[in-house]
Amino acid sequence: MEGVPLIAYLLLGMFMFTTGVVGVIIRRNPIVIFMCIELMLNSVNLTFLAFARYMPMQVQGVTLPQATMGGQMMVIFVMAVAAAEVAVGLGIIMAIFRLRNNIDIDEMNLLKG
Amino acid sequence: MSSYFAAIWYVLGLPVLGFLIQSLFGKAIVRVAGKRVAGLLAVLPIAMAFVIGVVLTMNLAAFAPENRAHVSTLCDWINIASIKIPFELRVDTLSMTMVLIITGIGALIHLYATGYMAEEKDYTRFFTYLNLFIAAMLILVLGNNLPMLFIGWEGVGLCSYLLIGFWYKDVANAKAANKAFIVNRIGDWGLTLGMFLLMVIVAANANRFGAIDGRFLSYDVFLPRLGEVLKTMPTVTTIMALLFFVGACGKSAQFPLYLWLPDAMAGPTPVSALIHAATMVTSGVVLLNRLHVIFELSPVASAVVCVVGAFTALFAALIAFGQTDIKKVLAYSTVSQLGFMFVACGAGAYWVGMFHVTTHAFFKALLFLGSGAVIHAMAHNQDMRNYGKLAKYLPITCWTMFIGFLAISGVAIPGVFGFAGYYSKEAIIGSALANTHANIEGVQLGQYAGWTALGVAALTAMYMTRMTWLTFFGNKERWRDIPVVERGHAHDEEHAAELVHGHVIETAASAPVTIATGDGYKFEGEALALVDDHGHDHGPDVHGFFFTHDEVHEREHADHEHEHHELDGNHIPHEVSPSMWIPLAVLAVLSIFGGWYLAQGDRFLDWLYPGGKLDYLGEVSEHPHGVNLIMLSAIAAFGGIAAGLLVYFRGLPKKEGWDESKWSPARLWARNQFGYDAAMVGAAVDGGADIATAAWKGVDIALVDGAVNGSGWLARTAGWLLHFLQTGYIRFYAIGMLIGAIAFLGWGSYFLFFGGHK
Amino acid sequence: MQQTGPGLLSLITFLPLIGALLMMLLPKDQSKLLRYVALGVSIVTFVVSLTLLTHFKGGTYHFQMQENASWIPSLGINYRLGVDGISLWLILLTTLLSIVATWFSFYVDKRIKPYFIFLLILETAMLGVFTSLDMILFYSFFEASLIPMYFLISIWGGERRGYASLKFFIYTFAGSIFMLVGMIVLAKQYAGLHHGQLSFSIVDIQREVASGKFWAGALQLQTLIFWSFSIAFLVKCPAFPFHTWLPDAHVEAPTAGSIILAGVLLKMGTYGFLRFVLPLFPDAVQTQAVWLMGLAVIGIIYGAIVAAIQPDLKKLIAYSSVAHMGFVLLGLFSLTHSGILGGTYQQLNHGIATGALFLLVGLIYERRHTRLFRDFGGLKAQMPIYATLFLIVMLASVGLPPLNGFIGEFLAMMGAFESSYAHAFGLNLIFPILAGAGTILAAVYLLYMFQQVFYGPNTNPENMKLKDIKPWEIACVGLLVVFVFWGGLYPSTFLKPMESSIGAVRLMAIAPEGNRPVWDEPEQEIDGKMNLVYAKGRTADQVGEPLSGNETVLTKANLHFPLATPQVAQSTTVKASPNHPVDAADLGVLEVGISRNLLTEPSLSEPLQASQAAHWAAPLQTPRRGGR
Repeated sequence: MEGVPLIAYLLLGMFMFTTGVVGVIIRRNPIVIFMCIELMLNSVNLTFLAFARYMPMQVQGVTLPQATMGGQMMVIFVMAVAAAEVAVGLGIIMAIFRLRNNIDIDEMNLLKG
Repeated sequence: MSSYFAAIWYVLGLPVLGFLIQSLFGKAIVRVAGKRVAGLLAVLPIAMAFVIGVVLTMNLAAFAPENRAHVSTLCDWINIASIKIPFELRVDTLSMTMVLIITGIGALIHLYATGYMAEEKDYTRFFTYLNLFIAAMLILVLGNNLPMLFIGWEGVGLCSYLLIGFWYKDVANAKAANKAFIVNRIGDWGLTLGMFLLMVIVAANANRFGAIDGRFLSYDVFLPRLGEVLKTMPTVTTIMALLFFVGACGKSAQFPLYLWLPDAMAGPTPVSALIHAATMVTSGVVLLNRLHVIFELSPVASAVVCVVGAFTALFAALIAFGQTDIKKVLAYSTVSQLGFMFVACGAGAYWVGMFHVTTHAFFKALLFLGSGAVIHAMAHNQDMRNYGKLAKYLPITCWTMFIGFLAISGVAIPGVFGFAGYYSKEAIIGSALANTHANIEGVQLGQYAGWTALGVAALTAMYMTRMTWLTFFGNKERWRDIPVVERGHAHDEEHAAELVHGHVIETAASAPVTIATGDGYKFEGEALALVDDHGHDHGPDVHGFFFTHDEVHEREHADHEHEHHELDGNHIPHEVSPSMWIPLAVLAVLSIFGGWYLAQGDRFLDWLYPGGKLDYLGEVSEHPHGVNLIMLSAIAAFGGIAAGLLVYFRGLPKKEGWDESKWSPARLWARNQFGYDAAMVGAAVDGGADIATAAWKGVDIALVDGAVNGSGWLARTAGWLLHFLQTGYIRFYAIGMLIGAIAFLGWGSYFLFFGGHK
Repeated sequence: MQQTGPGLLSLITFLPLIGALLMMLLPKDQSKLLRYVALGVSIVTFVVSLTLLTHFKGGTYHFQMQENASWIPSLGINYRLGVDGISLWLILLTTLLSIVATWFSFYVDKRIKPYFIFLLILETAMLGVFTSLDMILFYSFFEASLIPMYFLISIWGGERRGYASLKFFIYTFAGSIFMLVGMIVLAKQYAGLHHGQLSFSIVDIQREVASGKFWAGALQLQTLIFWSFSIAFLVKCPAFPFHTWLPDAHVEAPTAGSIILAGVLLKMGTYGFLRFVLPLFPDAVQTQAVWLMGLAVIGIIYGAIVAAIQPDLKKLIAYSSVAHMGFVLLGLFSLTHSGILGGTYQQLNHGIATGALFLLVGLIYERRHTRLFRDFGGLKAQMPIYATLFLIVMLASVGLPPLNGFIGEFLAMMGAFESSYAHAFGLNLIFPILAGAGTILAAVYLLYMFQQVFYGPNTNPENMKLKDIKPWEIACVGLLVVFVFWGGLYPSTFLKPMESSIGAVRLMAIAPEGNRPVWDEPEQEIDGKMNLVYAKGRTADQVGEPLSGNETVLTKANLHFPLATPQVAQSTTVKASPNHPVDAADLGVLEVGISRNLLTEPSLSEPLQASQAAHWAAPLQTPRRGGR
């Protein structure tokens, strides 16, 4: 644990995030897109945790104890939101599938102006 | 003593009462008691008002000349801090003179109308309007302040409008009524502005007027000191005088605004006699007399008055030569005589203007009523070309009208006796020739106006001779030439069709005839109605009525006894009933002796302007130096008559007959009012409509709504441009987010790393 | 001012709303019941509003029957109602026209229940506008009146109702947004003088304006806010460039909607000028009045010209409203006593006459379902009573004396003339001249209308079946015709109670700062000569009584002439005593000085030197600012 530098976590997070973004943009299957979104959220979680561990919060030059757990709390929060989002999103996908027998997102362009 | 003169409210109240009775209960009275009673109830209030007026006038005459003005206040009308305008009447010599003319001649004409309108369906409506008119006219002359004068001014305009359009089923009548009201409103505009100007002058100098109670527009407040204040401001005086003169021009039918009066002949003839000859049209002269101080102080405005009056007199007299409608001749004659009155007023001889108002009221009412009797006897045909030798059939009408003719022509045995018109006309010409007041920078326009008036006096005698001889004398009963047209049969179809297009049909004997009509206006309407007439029996009645559904139904069941027949060769004119000729006789007596009586020993002058002196002009002479006025007037009157007899003694000359191609161009031009009416009406109606359409289409629809709807269009266009960004593909939105996020981060980083240090 | 409970004004304002709530409980298929309940509610409201007359005291310009309750204290917004001579008649006009509109709406047979509910809500909104003394409250009612009107047009309207209702809504809404901004600026400005305490009460703000503190050194801001209010009210009036919503709205609105629209809604605009613009922006009013007079005159001429060519009865009357409201504006911004009074009176008369005209047009529309001239002609023989009523109302609209339309027009034009005189007959002499031409044009289009409909032959078989109007319809029109005659023959009934308020509003606009009347200063009063006096110790019962004792004249009114540049000159104070009552001669009130030579004539420049100082007399003592 001590041997892994902060930059490694950040690079991994960046790689995961980029993968997620590219996935969201190029894939046509909404389930895969969801997975990519999860990937992006988790890359952010990873970054949060890395910073929480390596760079504790400083207020007016005084380093606060790690017990404030700001970063970790943010991660829990993100996971909760992600879970809720997946629940709603999958529900929508189910509904669309029932309606159209198809979940290709390129077919879903009702918002086209 | 002034409380005694509170009785003047009865003079005003009686016609109002008559109006209320006629309007609210008239129909019921006719139903229960018949038209005779309803007519009586209309005449009675006016006659009673006349009696009260006579008594009041006699009492007024008993006062010393300087005490002959009494004001009686009823209540406040407009009472605000900046101005007070009570309902107040003024009993003075000027107003009582007019009261006697209005109620006296008014009562006679009411009496006449009970006979003239006897066959009329809307009998009580007619008398409603007529009584209202008398009330309004009384307010005009009696009111003690200019706003009250304005009530009467507009009120008589309204009654004139209603009565001209009395036979409203003909659009032409309605249009004539509109024209009268609107042209009068132009005059009212001048009167209103003049009133405002006077009001600010009085308010600005309230202390000098002693007008601390705010009655700035009351005569008894401003008249005594007005000259003193206006003396120092000639420009304002002239402007004010001209504004009031614009008002007078409208009501009294002077040149630019005379247009409505000839058209006003569309009304029933008693209306023409009362409103458009004797009373309403003279209110301009009354106004000038009332406010004579302003005109006394403004030579320029007086010159304008003179010139306009003289020009109108000449212009209208020339037009009269081109008219074949008997009422039109009298209408232009009225315009011309009003011009005479203004010449006198412009020359500073205000009392002479009033004198002519009075004598003119006698003989012009007589002439109009006489013409009404002729029209009545001739099945409502007004064209003199159909008349001739009527003296045989209508002796009373003829000889009373002949007296009127002598009176308007100014016939007299110089130095011994003259008919009414002689005295007033001679005074007008004399005062105009003698005056030096009406001038613009030394140019004596008033004197030129006097010479013009002299010439017009000759013309007047001539065209009145023409009218009299064409109607009553000559060598032929010309209506005998009209073929007898039986209505309601198919063989008339051709005639009817020709009538529609040509108005004049050539018969087998090639004698030109016209179709009998109510008057010139209803020509086409009648003829058209004739066309669709056969088959059913609801043709136009004598007044050019078109019937409502109910009326048609009614008539189908009615007997045909009352069917009015048209003028044709079988027609035999009958003398009118006593109710119609009694007023003629009374007016004839007045036309003979009225002028002589009033002129004796300056009686009228002393009555109106005690001592014969004006405040600023002093004594106005009626005797020009170096001019033999008596001689000239006699030459004008007798010369005019002689010239007229030369042409018309044998009846209708060929050059004025039915065939208008034989008319001289000058006469045709005169008949069309020298193109003035057409040009003015064309400019106002068509030009106005063009301007209005341009304004509406250009400003409202294009500009304002264009801007409003344009802003809506702008929003929609912007939306349309942006709709290309809405592809509906999620990845497109995602890339957009990405680019946006990168741009935002990049911008933030830039400031964080490079901008923050500055 | 201290808090009070709800009173008469609240009752009047909210009675129709209570009625509307009641009607929501009624079954929607009981059409007869619904109609009579609605009519009953409007009649009750009218009767209750008549009691205002017995409580109202003339001769004072202060707000009466005030009510005050805290609404949003942190923002300085209060529920504050009051009535003065200006709003009194507008309230009565509203309740009267509501009866007529509701009564006439018996013809409506589509979705009756919501129709009458909207009508009653509209009445509450209109009454609220005329009673509220708090700007936010005013604004709420002002906007609230749009909503029921929008629905009345868009549901029960004619063919192009969608376009017309949307245009009406957006137009007026867009205008009043400017006003809201202006109100917020006013409140902030007030807060700057009172340690950050906002206030939206016009009474509070006017007190500061009167003393001159409010706009000290902020003339440009004042002009800006003046225009932000003016635009809102110009749209509502409507004045010339902002008028195009009116013809569309009128033509498409149901008859009752047209009556209310012409009779009351337009008056909100002119009322706004009287209540807000003149008292709150005195300096801007004096510099900008000439522009508004210009707009007014353009409206008079333009409305009349365009009215003359309309083929549709309602459109013609709508454009005639533009012209007539021009007279109101002209009068108000002439800034003379006659002018403002005439303008204010003209708006009442326009409400009566034009309301009656729309009513009459509605009557014929219900019979023939057309309003085009070419479908009519010769109706006079068919419907004589209808024709007579129409004639009377039309003549009132033409401005024929002595019907009510004349008085307002006459006084307004007179005011405009006086105002141009005071400017030595400068360019603005053109205003009364053109306004006079407008009265000619009024005759042109209205007589044309009358001729087209009533004169000529009756050739249309449809029209031959027409019967004259029924007794209840005669009664409905007669209700308004009574006021046509009353207002013309005895205008004092209506002018007297409003005169003090008008005098005060005028002095608020043209008197120099420190000498302006204050609404919230009970010891000041306006006397019969429209002078502002310091009437010490005068109790509420004594307002309107003639001056006596130790009363001090603060501002001498120059009734006839507004001043281009008010000059405060020497302090002259006139004391009245029982033996020597104050009158115009003492004060030299009517001695006129004008700012320039009048057409180079000596006599008018003479009083200029003599009474240069006579425009205003400075106060002997500074009036106490009541209660603070």
